[in-house]
Amino acid sequence: MQHPHADLSAYIDGALDPAAQATVDGHLVTCALCRAHVAQLRATVALVQALPDPVPSRRLVPRLATAPAWLAPLRTLMTLASGAAVFLFLASALATNITPLATSGAPSTTAREASGDTAVKGQAPAAQPAGAPTVTPAPAPAVSPYAAFAPGPTASPAADNVVRGPAPVTPDARGDTPPAASAAPAAALNAQDAARTTLSAPQRSPLINPWLWLALAIVCGAAAIALNRRLRASV
Amino acid sequence: MSGAPDSEIELLIERARGGDTRAFEDLARREERALYRHALRIVGTTSDAEDIVQDALFSAWRSIGSFQGLSFRAWLFRIATNRALDQLRSRKRRPELPLDPPDDDDVTWAEPVAPGPDLTQLAGDREALAAVETALASLPAEQRTALLLRDVEGFPYEEIAVITSVEIGTVKSRIHRGRLAVRNVLIARGWRGPDG
Repeated sequence: MQHPHADLSAYIDGALDPAAQATVDGHLVTCALCRAHVAQLRATVALVQALPDPVPSRRLVPRLATAPAWLAPLRTLMTLASGAAVFLFLASALATNITPLATSGAPSTTAREASGDTAVKGQAPAAQPAGAPTVTPAPAPAVSPYAAFAPGPTASPAADNVVRGPAPVTPDARGDTPPAASAAPAAALNAQDAARTTLSAPQRSPLINPWLWLALAIVCGAAAIALNRRLRASV
Repeated sequence: MSGAPDSEIELLIERARGGDTRAFEDLARREERALYRHALRIVGTTSDAEDIVQDALFSAWRSIGSFQGLSFRAWLFRIATNRALDQLRSRKRRPELPLDPPDDDDVTWAEPVAPGPDLTQLAGDREALAAVETALASLPAEQRTALLLRDVEGFPYEEIAVITSVEIGTVKSRIHRGRLAVRNVLIARGWRGPDG
């Protein structure tokens, strides 16, 4: 009898039509060689199935859902914004170097308190009866910033005026500002701070703080990088 | 093979056909590993296999509107298999040559010449698995492809015929010849059959 060798793989897969399957079944009953071959083919299939699974080194599914149309323009915008913030950081750093008052923490606090003090004092003379020393806040912005570094007592007359002028403020006016009022005896000690405050107050806009621009540059730069990576991950 | 119920797959396919990218990604992720192992065993290099699968999945997304007839899994395997075989052909200097010698029924069965370990007890044997890998790699690409689609991926003959665009008789022949070649390599290494 002829061996159905060519059908044995299809036989073990159950892929023969029923008549051919029955024929092979019948042959196997009587043929030890074909039974051996069937067993060997099954063993071969088992070995192929037992091969270890390789794992890809990266994600192979394209990111289709992560690239909406506005992503690319937003990345461009963030990149430009980051660049602009770096420029403003440098510009404001340069500006604060000229007036380095804003860079120190402790005097800044004192200056802020004194600023309120001065503001009140600045208004106070208007409410004072005639005869009180006349204070003209106008010279303050006109004074050179370097004047602030001059020792208090020997400061330029204009700055001195601004500081000392409001000193004899009326008790009423001082009562409105308790911290300032309690510091009244130390007016002379605070003179220098007050002078600094008066002079630098108009320039202490948050827009000139270089750290603000640096932080903004970092945030915008990080956002631009993240958006760029997201875009590159998308096909 | 994914363990998800057919209804869930069908729903994802419908959503993907409607343009739902997340549904398609979900479907693709289920087959990513299988497609990769299949492509790797056809082309033999990991970077090529990764590129093939990534390209195939993107191509599948772009042409999902034309998906019909086959199971979704078979459709993905068809795209990836074609790309893998194209890659092999493009590597050859003379791409007009067929990857397979002409099919014929003149298949020889090498018989064991000396006693060796039982093939059925070798599934955990690294040496045996390495021998199987080597034997698979030495097969003509189209035999290897048919054998992998059947024995590793579990596709029925009918689907393998569609995936590889050949007649079912050719599929039957390729699978058998591939298995026999692997079996002969193992026999040549001294192993004997379970009943031998």
